[in-house]
Parts: sequence; C-alpha cells; structure tokens
Amino acid sequence: MQEVRNWQKLTIFGKAFHRFGLFLMKRTVGQQVALFFRAYASLFNRSRSFKADTKNIIAQAFFTGVEIFPILFIVATLFGAVVIMEVLTMMGKMGFDDVMGSLMVVVVIRELGPILTAFLIAGRSGSSLTTYIGSMVINSEVDALATMGVSPIRYLVMPGLIGGTISTFVMTILFSAIAIGCGFLATQAFSFLIGDFIHAKLTWSYLSSEILDAMSLTDFVLIIVKPLVFGSIITTNACYQALNIPHDIRQVPKATSRSVIKSFLYIVIADVFMSIFYFLDYMNELSKIL
Amino acid sequence: MQNATALRIEDLHLSYKDLVGERFSKPKTLSFFEKQMHSPEKELLSGANLTLNSGETLCIGGPSGTGKTALLRVIAGLNRPLSGKFYYFGEYIPPERHTALEIAKRQVGLVFQNGALISNLRIKDNIALPLHYHKRGTPKEIEDKVNMAMDLMRVRTHANMFPHQLSVGMQKRVAIARSWAMDPKLLLMDEPTAGLDNYNRRNLLPLIDNMRILFRTSIIIITHDLLMAKELGCNICFLYKGQITEPRTFDYWLNSDTEIAKVLFRDLHRNA
Repeated sequence: MQEVRNWQKLTIFGKAFHRFGLFLMKRTVGQQVALFFRAYASLFNRSRSFKADTKNIIAQAFFTGVEIFPILFIVATLFGAVVIMEVLTMMGKMGFDDVMGSLMVVVVIRELGPILTAFLIAGRSGSSLTTYIGSMVINSEVDALATMGVSPIRYLVMPGLIGGTISTFVMTILFSAIAIGCGFLATQAFSFLIGDFIHAKLTWSYLSSEILDAMSLTDFVLIIVKPLVFGSIITTNACYQALNIPHDIRQVPKATSRSVIKSFLYIVIADVFMSIFYFLDYMNELSKIL
Repeated sequence: MQNATALRIEDLHLSYKDLVGERFSKPKTLSFFEKQMHSPEKELLSGANLTLNSGETLCIGGPSGTGKTALLRVIAGLNRPLSGKFYYFGEYIPPERHTALEIAKRQVGLVFQNGALISNLRIKDNIALPLHYHKRGTPKEIEDKVNMAMDLMRVRTHANMFPHQLSVGMQKRVAIARSWAMDPKLLLMDEPTAGLDNYNRRNLLPLIDNMRILFRTSIIIITHDLLMAKELGCNICFLYKGQITEPRTFDYWLNSDTEIAKVLFRDLHRNA
C-alpha cells in the first residue's frame, strides 16, 4: 500500500516549489549552504551558553589564526617586496609614475591579499579541520556525541565556522598591512644591499599617501566582506567534507584533499562574483564621464 | 497500559543499505524524501517486532552478523530503517523525526562496543561533556555527579588520563559511566562485558541490576555472554532469520527444542 505523503497533496505550484527545493538540497552546494545556516542557527538553540561558546570559538580562532602567523608573515613580506619591486621597475620603463598606489591597491589589497590568505588558511586549517572531524566520524565519536544529545553541528561545526571566519578576517587585514609595511622595508633593505638599482625616490610617506588616495569606498567594504565570505567557504566546506565521510579510513585523505581543492575553487568563483562590484563601480564612473 | 512500555517496535524492516548511518552534513528532511529500493533478499531484519516494558532488562543474542548492533543503532536513531513503527515510552516517532538527536532528547543512552570516547578530552571531561552541554545543574553538582559515576565504575584514579592511555575494558567502563551520568530512562548497551575481566564483570552486573531497581531504567543488552542473562534474571530474545524471537528466560531456552536454542546453548548444556 502506497502511503499518501504530505507533499503529494500540494497544488501544482506547491509541487514545483517542493521539487525545486529538493533539487537544490541534493546538490553539494545546496547542502553546504544548508550546513552553514544550520551552524549559525545552532548558536541560538536551547543548550547555548555564552561562556563555553566563547571559549570554543576563541580556541578555534587561535588554532586557525595564530599558529599560521609565522608562515603568513614571511609570505606577506616577500610577496609585498616582490610586488613593490616589480611595480617600480615596470614604472621606470613605462613611465606611469602616478599609478603606483592604484596598482598596489589592486594587486595587494583587492585581489591577492585576501586570496593568498584564504589559500594559506584552506591549506592548513581547512585540511586539519577535515582530518580532525573526519577521524571523529571514523571512530564513531560523532555518533556517540549524537546519542548523548550533543549536536555535532553545534559542538564541532559552529566553533570552527565562526572561529575560522573571524581569524580569516583578521589574518587578511594583517596580510595586507604586512605586505605593504614590511614589503616596503624589505625593498629598502634590498636596495641598500644591492645598491640603488631602481634609482627610485620611494619613501614611506609617498607610498602610503598614494595607496590611501587610491582606496575607494568599495575597497573598504570588500576588505570586510571578502575575508568573511572566504572564511565561511573554507570552514563550511571543510566540515561538510568531513561529516560526509562514510565509515572507511581511506576516505579521510580523499576528503582532506577534496576539502582543500574545492575550497580553492569556491574561493575563486566567489572572488569573480565579488569583482562584479568593481565592474559596476567602473560602469557608473564611465557613465558620469560620458 | 500505554505508559508501561519503554519501547515498542512494530514491523521493522532493515536492509544492508540502511547501515550507512546518519549523515549530519545533510539536512534531515532530505533523507526523508529519498527513495529507497526494496528488495526482500537484501534485508537483515524483515518484519521484526519488539516490546520492552519499562523497568525491564532484556538481553538480545544471536549469531554474529545477524544485525544485533544494527538493531541497537536503529533504536538509538543512528540508522534509519526501511520501514517500521517506533514507540518510545508510548510516544510514536514518525520516520522523518527518527534521528539520533531527537531520540536522545527522550533520555535514551547508548554504550558503544568500543566506548567511542572523545579522544582529545580527559576521562572526567568526557563524562562531564554532555552534562555541561545540557546544563544539568551547577558546576558543583556536575562535578559531584561525575565523581559519583567514576566511583561507581571505579575509574576515579584515572580521572586525568586521556582515553588512549586506558585499556579497552577501562574505556568501556568510562563509556558506561558517561551514559549513567545522563540518567537515561532507556539504556542500550552493546557488549558491555566483552573485554572485561571476571572481577569487573561481577561488579558490573549488580550495577546494571541496581539501575533497574533504583532508577527504573529499562535496559537492552546485546551480548554473547548468555550466562549474564541468567545472573541478571532477565529475558533473552534472539535475532534469527530476520526475526526477533519471543523473549524467554534462560532456563526456557536451555531446555527448548527450537533450532536457535540448539545452536547457541549446546556448550552451555555441557557446562550445566
């Protein structure tokens, strides 16, 4: 006997809506978005406790952020030095002395700062989050948590998501600051060691004022939005891949690599979508000029 | 009487496909709408019924690979069966709400075969974790409760150790203590005596009995240790050929002529 399900009693539009919802939910992206919202919703459930939650989130943020700092510092310094030197030498050839600040803003602050930070965090913290939760799934610790009434999404995913997002945000700001500040110092050190080969009149006041002039309001907004989006993508994806592991130990390394690679993919896709804002900005200015 | 039953299962069908387990990454409505293929030859259990009165202890035995642990996981909500009606304490749980978290709300505890302790927490934190999570009293009360649970299972001396520093038997005792601390109304135990020495086994059995008498906890024990049922004075039922047999006493099975009793009680006869 076939039982009449509730959705079969719906009207034709209701059925179409139901099918659409199921279509979205069956996709990986739909499930990840659902996981993201469930993790945030779990903040407000009955077992909330400000003290324990704050402790977990800070521990996760510490794990994600502070321990990656040495690598991030070196990468940011060298990267900033490379960008400054390249831009300076290029400018000497091409004669674009006035676009120094704009180029720094575009390359470091807008694009590569957030993306490189996100890649570093995905490679280190995202993969370790996947391995950690995945091993718990394999050892049926997640099942044990659930049978004790402890929601795995609340206990494992929520601190990772919020802590990871916060630390991605902080680390991106630090990356941009270090790339410009320490990159400048490194450039000065190089030119001191090798001799003044770029014969540039590069001073800190010139660089900083150029950069501040080149920053627009969209830049300031996206400096905040981009790391938040990237951090959410990395941690949600990492937790999703981990919780999806069947009881098979060989799936843990596969899930880890999938977590990192898919994070890269989603980050770049999200970056493209956010670049549309700059495009709109440009079109507005263009219409003003015309 | 409706309230007297702790658990009633009607017409349970369980296939090998259902053993994948609950995916916490997926929205739970999704698995409700997923179509499942029905093929009778691939079923572990077909049309099984089980009734457990509250305050009763029941041992479930049977040969390996007949789905005893799977049955326990289904009862705890970790696996969703193909079909079947579940009543916990007289309350019907529809299939879309048959999840581990929903069932844990009804004070059902599960002791895993390997303990399944959280490996990055110390023993005392492991026991205190669900108590803190569900806010069962002030920190002082929780600490008292944890100490009491550790005293009962005699793991107090190892309170500050990590699970990997303990033997399997001790991990299992900690897991039982963790379940006990939650005051379950229905406790599911998967092989509680496997891996325990005789001394600890002797101590565990009165504890199980005390839980039944003092707290009126209903207990389901999966075991190969059939003498335990005799010592606890409880009924045994077997999983055999996709069915759950009627619960009977140890002596009934010992003297019965049924096929399953002949298979499982042959050696015990000789000992007796």
